[in-house]
Amino acid sequence: MKAKVGVYVCECGPNIAGKTDLDEIITYLSEFRGFGDVELVVRKYGFLCSNQGKEYLEKEIRDLGLTHLVVGACSPRDHDSTFKDVCGKTQLNPYLYKIINIREHCTWVIDDMDKATEKAKSYLRAGIARVLYQSELFESPIDVNPDVLVIGGGVAGMEAALALAGENRSVTIVEKNDTLGGRAGKLRGFSFQEFNKPEQVEKLIETILGNPCINVFLDSEVTSVIGFLGNFEIEHVSLESKVITELFCGSIITATGADLYETTEESGFKYSESDDVYNSMEITEMLSSGDEITLRSGKEPETIAIVHCVGREELGYCSGVCCTVMMKTANMIKARYPDIRITQFYRDICLPPSGGQELYAAARSSGVNFVKVQSTGLSGTTVKFKEKNGDEGEQFFDMVLLASALVPSKDTPALSELLGIPVDETGFFQEAHRMTNPSATTTDGVFIVGTSQGPRNISDSMLFARASAGQILTKLLVGEKLVPEVAVTEILEAYCTGCGNCLDVCVYGAIYPDEARGISIVNEAICRGCGNCYGSCPSGALRTKHFTNIQLFREVDEALR
Amino acid sequence: MKDKKEKSSNSEFTPKVVGFLCNWCTYAAADLAGGSRLEIPSSFSVVRVMCSSRIDHNLLLTTFFKGADGILVAGCHPGDCHYGEGNYYARRRFAQLKKVMETLDLDPERLELVWVSAAEGNRYAEVVSDFTEKIRKLGPNPMNSSTRF
Ligand SMILES: Cc1cc2nc3c(=O)[nH]c(=O)nc-3n(C[C@H](O)[C@H](O)[C@H](O)COP(=O)(O)OP(=O)(O)OC[C@H]3O[C@@H](n4cnc5c(N)ncnc54)[C@H](O)[C@@H]3O)c2cc1C
Ligand code: SF4
Ligand code: SF4
Ligand code: SF4
Ligand code: FES
Repeated sequence: MKAKVGVYVCECGPNIAGKTDLDEIITYLSEFRGFGDVELVVRKYGFLCSNQGKEYLEKEIRDLGLTHLVVGACSPRDHDSTFKDVCGKTQLNPYLYKIINIREHCTWVIDDMDKATEKAKSYLRAGIARVLYQSELFESPIDVNPDVLVIGGGVAGMEAALALAGENRSVTIVEKNDTLGGRAGKLRGFSFQEFNKPEQVEKLIETILGNPCINVFLDSEVTSVIGFLGNFEIEHVSLESKVITELFCGSIITATGADLYETTEESGFKYSESDDVYNSMEITEMLSSGDEITLRSGKEPETIAIVHCVGREELGYCSGVCCTVMMKTANMIKARYPDIRITQFYRDICLPPSGGQELYAAARSSGVNFVKVQSTGLSGTTVKFKEKNGDEGEQFFDMVLLASALVPSKDTPALSELLGIPVDETGFFQEAHRMTNPSATTTDGVFIVGTSQGPRNISDSMLFARASAGQILTKLLVGEKLVPEVAVTEILEAYCTGCGNCLDVCVYGAIYPDEARGISIVNEAICRGCGNCYGSCPSGALRTKHFTNIQLFREVDEALR
Repeated sequence: MKDKKEKSSNSEFTPKVVGFLCNWCTYAAADLAGGSRLEIPSSFSVVRVMCSSRIDHNLLLTTFFKGADGILVAGCHPGDCHYGEGNYYARRRFAQLKKVMETLDLDPERLELVWVSAAEGNRYAEVVSDFTEKIRKLGPNPMNSSTRF
């Protein structure tokens, strides 16, 4: 069939019509013979994005039996989908249409009318040349599974599960431990902001266990994840019975928390099991269980040192929560044992905007001693330090408490591999975008929340958990179908040697080897069509369907004509 | 390596520059430049791609062979790529291609990779003008029409 390309130039009021000679453009293109045996219909219209404009375009496509459409108007970021939808109502496949941005990239940036007219001609020619090489693509909506898997049952995981269950979503929590609650469960009453009552964590756990929408597997670990947004197939295993359970869900929330930094001798911390040296979690558990604070000898300590920023130098980041934890620890010890003398060795004090200052002021007024230092070390329970002015000193204490940094949990690398989500330079899971998309990851449908993402307090962990639940609720609607990106990449089997170069390049893991056939295959449901793999193939077997070489070459040809 | 000098003497020369812009950052910056009515040289042509990582050696060399005097590739800042790490790959491929260009007698300066975010409309206009001016000084693409296609 002979191609019949409709070229519609939008006047956009004075925005385009006032800055170019549209009639000249129309005459020029109508008479242009550079596209071989192609029939061109070139017309202008007032405001194409208006309702009348859209109806006009729809009628033109139908009545004239157009095979391709070029719209010369504004940015695709404004109206690409507008005109795609118009095509969708007609016989014309939306992927045989292209919008040409002559407003933002021509009439608004070129003052000289003649030059703008020439430029518009060039951009429109490029559009026609390209659209002739575009191919039909068909969007095929797939059924989605609205259910959610939550890995890790700390506060972050529990909060996300509750937010989802509140909207009647089925949620499964797979927790490695024999109880829910994570770190906050062990902190019990010990916490700096809202969580100042032990019942709060317990109540949260009870609510979870009593919620018919939430299914909890304790002592369990996820062992296999395959699939993509809307259709994941999961296997998890009971660590006790080794029974493997299969599960289907549409999205995954990773809430596996963080570990505490362990000191090393190389970094100047030399002590043994028998010394009275405890990390923040150990003292916290001691305090929240109500046990007496005693030395291993059974005696009550007279002096306690609190060493801040343990691991900060080696790790290269500040953990944000430890200072607050230590203010609270000092205050709790002072409240119960006013005679114990406490000294805090700190580098700088980092406190949350709400409530932190009060904790610090309370510590000061109860007589806690603060010493600003450059660096610290330990020899048994003797604190070695370098003061601000460079002087070195050491001081013996009965007990030493370490404000150890939060580090990625030891399961993080394995989970990163399993879920196909990257970690950042600190080793925590990496968000899709720190500012604009902080709980999503580069794998569609997999979210990260809480301290698995980096150090943060309970209220922030819960806030992000609710945010990710919100994203799932809006992205995966019950009963709705999902339209995967169709402008994806394909591998032309005849050219593929199965070298595997492209596998390493795709951050989404969309390409997999077909060993039997000795080639690689793109899973089109996962591919986003970024085109990164294109340049990695030594045999030219890859083809990003809506950005093929020939399409781009034709565009370039006309730009350079 | 420098191109043959005599060709660059013409001050009337208007360089043909192709800009491959990533949809998510620099293309948006170009729209912003338009919205702010900044001036862009009329000899500069935008080709939109989804990510700077789509720009491979074949596309760049072909664009030079077709007669482009300069090519600007622009994408998101490192760490901001919509597809995670595409721009890192783009950068690596660029370093390789610059070497290839030398063997083809093409000044590697004719090719530039820049990061321009969606918010940097002013910077976009500056980058495009400066690059176009640089190419004007370098003169026409030295590949003669017999090597072009
Ligand atoms: C000593 C200390 C005191 C603190 N005090 C406070 C405070 O007073 N107030 C405050 O706001 N914040 C405090 N914090 C910070 C607080 O602990 C965290 O913000 C919060 O607990 C993070 O919750 P989470 O759900 O992200 O992680 P976690 O509570 O660590 O929960 C992670 C859960 O995932 C499970 N898990 C891990 N790996 C897997 C796996 N592979 N498969 C299945 N399950 C897995 C774990 O068993 C755990 O149950 C403190 C931190 C420390 C270290
Ligand atoms: S389609 Fe774009 S160019 Fe046309 S009137 Fe609407 S905004 Fe203006
Ligand atoms: S186009 Fe991008 S997402 Fe698709 S397979 Fe290639 S690299 Fe992966
Ligand atoms: S890089 Fe090319 S040849 Fe190698 S596996 Fe991928 S598609 Fe096949
Ligand atoms: S999306 Fe902009 S460079 Fe990758």
